[in-house]
Amino acid sequence: MTVIQTNDVTKIYNEDQVPVHALRGVDLTIEKGEFTAIVGPSGSGKTTLLNIIGGLDNPTEGSVTVQGTDLGSLSDSELINFRLHHIGFVFQAYNLIPVLTSIENVSFVMQMQGRPTKECHEKSRELLQAVGLGDKIDKRPSELSGGQQQRVAVARALASKPDFVLADEPTANLDSVSSGELLDMMAELNEKEEMTFVFSTHDQRVIKRARRVVTLVDGNIDEDEVRS
Amino acid sequence: MWRNPTRSAVVVIAVLLGVWAGVFISAFMNGMIQGYLQNHLNLSVGHIQITHPQFEDQFNPRYHIQEPESVIKSLRGQDFITDIRPQTLTTGLAQSASNSYGVSIHGIRPGLDSTQPVQQYLQQGDMLQSISRNPVVIGSELADRLDLKLKSKIVLSFQDIDGNITAGSFRVAGIFDSPDNNFDKGNVFVDRIDLNTLLEKEGMIHKIILKVNDFGKAENFKEEIAGQFPNLRVVSWGDIAPELRYVYNSMDISLYIFMIIIIIALIFSIINTMLMAILERTRELGMLMAVGMNKVRLFTMILIETVFLTMTGAPMGLLLSWLSIKMLADTGINLEAFAKGLNEYGMSSTIYPELTASYYLNITLLIAGAALLSALYPAWKTLKLNPVEAIRKF
Repeated sequence: MTVIQTNDVTKIYNEDQVPVHALRGVDLTIEKGEFTAIVGPSGSGKTTLLNIIGGLDNPTEGSVTVQGTDLGSLSDSELINFRLHHIGFVFQAYNLIPVLTSIENVSFVMQMQGRPTKECHEKSRELLQAVGLGDKIDKRPSELSGGQQQRVAVARALASKPDFVLADEPTANLDSVSSGELLDMMAELNEKEEMTFVFSTHDQRVIKRARRVVTLVDGNIDEDEVRS
Repeated sequence: MWRNPTRSAVVVIAVLLGVWAGVFISAFMNGMIQGYLQNHLNLSVGHIQITHPQFEDQFNPRYHIQEPESVIKSLRGQDFITDIRPQTLTTGLAQSASNSYGVSIHGIRPGLDSTQPVQQYLQQGDMLQSISRNPVVIGSELADRLDLKLKSKIVLSFQDIDGNITAGSFRVAGIFDSPDNNFDKGNVFVDRIDLNTLLEKEGMIHKIILKVNDFGKAENFKEEIAGQFPNLRVVSWGDIAPELRYVYNSMDISLYIFMIIIIIALIFSIINTMLMAILERTRELGMLMAVGMNKVRLFTMILIETVFLTMTGAPMGLLLSWLSIKMLADTGINLEAFAKGLNEYGMSSTIYPELTASYYLNITLLIAGAALLSALYPAWKTLKLNPVEAIRKF
């Protein structure tokens, strides 16, 4: 089942001054349960593509369809609501709320969805256990290591029961042990829960673990390798 | 909000001190103005005055109140009147061996009339009792000017009711020192019988000064009394001293203008702090927008944080104000060092700060409004954040 489809997506920054072509007609289809890495050198357009797929940025030309919904047809508020219910985000710098505990950092997304507080807490506890942090639910981000914080961020991304998770360089700030553990955990979620993961990365450890590697060069898909 | 306790504490303390300073200074100003108003009303003006219709033109002693006893009797029947002070009044010249000065001469009956307001300011002597023949009570300023002491001789000369110049020799029985130097300089008090004898008319009354239970309603009471005595001139304190009425009417608005200026300063301080807080949390706010927090929720969040921050300091400031005002309301603030200057303007050297409960309520509402107002700009700035850029900040 197709989760994400981009059709001829082009992104040009500074159109009025010195135009920068970040993406040049990208066509990409992601199926449910994929564990895909988008790779490429700096400036190749990885983050731009992820932002456009995630509905955080608009393409200059082309369209993005997520689970059959054309993101370009949604108003600003509809797009925000769509992100809340359909897309999970993991950021390079974790971006947890420093004054909230792990469980609160995970459950606030569900609370925004309007789910009952009790359900939010139970589900958050489950998710934190699933990412191996069952004993850290009351810890604040400052009391956790980088790897642990990124696990909380993954739990938060999964909290909204998204159709897929977008992770922008999730291991960039982690040491090799933490990166390995995080990747194991995400691979397990991918296999067990059939959760679709799309990463942008140039970390070889992530690339090695990916089952599909899409290589971007100068805003174009240069290579699309599917591994068995 | 509490992630940066120092910054939050600075805002809370700024709001607390701002509110305290504003409310306390308002209470101080209010006490000062009320004191000024009451000094004038008590000492000279009263709340309502009754005279012969032509008396006020030239203070001619010929124009006295007809059948004053029946007028006074009728006034005693009014329950809103709390004090009646009849007096014979003329203007003349006070002379001593060394100098002379123009004065108003008040003929009173100490012991029979109500207590005279100057009695509370007596510094030396008494109210006319200690000297058996022609006693006079004078102000300290006049005593200095004419170089008079207790029992000194003073000659008062004026016109009698026939227009003839007459004079009487008096002895100083008491010297008063009121908060109004001009009053002390220009007013003397003698026995009404002595004055009437010199004016050549027994039992004469020129002016009846009334105090009522609510001086703010003096205008209404005046109308009521005027209806009873159509042949007499009845005026309220506002008619006699329009400058005092202006002070009274503008008092509330002055206090609010003062408080609003302080609140405007507070608004800028709160906006500045909240903008700093937003700048510090750009990445976090960007993340919230990215994961799906809608604009209404985001706007409300910043609004609530700002209002909460402000409304934490405001009640503490109000409580501190209330405590300091209550503490000083009885003892007063002693400004003896500035007594001379204050008395020149008719103000007491002891200020009793006071504020009504409604003022506290209105200030609370004003601050709550200010908190909302100061939250709007930071909240609006938050909505302008671009999540893609915000996430990558720092």
